[in-house]
Amino acid sequence: MIEIKGAIALVGYGLAAIGPGIGIGIVVGNAITAMARQPEAAGMVRTTMFLGIAFTEALALIGFVLFFIA
Amino acid sequence: MEQLILAEGACDPANDIICRPENVTELFNNTDVIFSIGPLDVTRTVFLIFLAMVIVVALLFFGLRSKRLVPSKFGMAIEALVVFVRDEIAVSIIGPEGVKYYPWLLALFMFILVGNLFEVTPLINFPITSRMAIAGTLSLLTWVIFVFVGFKKNGFGYVGALVWPKAVPLALRPLVGLIEFVSTFFLRPLTLAVRLFANMVAGHLMLTLLLVSGWVFISSVGEIGIRALIGVPWFVFGLGIYVFEIVVAVLQAYIFTLLSAVYVESSINIEH
Repeated sequence: MIEIKGAIALVGYGLAAIGPGIGIGIVVGNAITAMARQPEAAGMVRTTMFLGIAFTEALALIGFVLFFIA
Repeated sequence: MEQLILAEGACDPANDIICRPENVTELFNNTDVIFSIGPLDVTRTVFLIFLAMVIVVALLFFGLRSKRLVPSKFGMAIEALVVFVRDEIAVSIIGPEGVKYYPWLLALFMFILVGNLFEVTPLINFPITSRMAIAGTLSLLTWVIFVFVGFKKNGFGYVGALVWPKAVPLALRPLVGLIEFVSTFFLRPLTLAVRLFANMVAGHLMLTLLLVSGWVFISSVGEIGIRALIGVPWFVFGLGIYVFEIVVAVLQAYIFTLLSAVYVESSINIEH
């Protein structure tokens, strides 16, 4: 028998980070496409991109908090 | 290789190559009192908070003191920072009204920036924003301001527009309203604080682990011989992370300020 020791909360945080990771990738990728197509709108796109990242990241951050309080 | 991998139980304090700390929070807890002013005990963290305050005030004071026709290089840098916060954050997000909020945003931005950069400052090496008390207080301040602005500009229509959004189909309104209510009043301050705090904690831990373990391995070359070379890649990797952390420190200060501005804007214009 193999015994695995460690905090299960770590696994939970790892799972919580998958979705936001993919989401942030999509947000940034599309923002880069938008900036490349229309460089004059780069400032607006960048602001909106950071907003999108911030909202997507919230799930990973909640996972991070749960890791500490679990 | 077994000697190199020292788990918690295998730690021998007499031959301390690497001992796992009992609890990582001791990296962030500075409970030793440096000096006391009356009833106020000043620990390292408290001292750094006041140091950050003094640095911010001094930067702004000496940077913007002399109104010369051609400012000095230092003055121009500070001016660029101030104009960046005013134009790129306050006015471009909140609109022309944003000029009213820009002193607050500037104070927020400068304090968080200096506090974050303490992480990579030699001899200090401790980001004060990695304490939840500071990140939490700053985000509570933002919360108070955007809720106050919302009620002042829109009265009780502020909450009404949140819990009963007109743009949503009738059947979905209670659900969307509930989500909006929770997300605005509870998740916003929480995520705002945790985003800053988590990034700084992770950065501080990573830097400490990589640089300290690299240094400890290299310096124990007399005891473990050629295997001490394992410390070199750690140290180099730590220096790479060091540069990365500078970027993270600036970016987190920017994001915190940007989101504060966005929250205030969403309190002023409740239509969307």
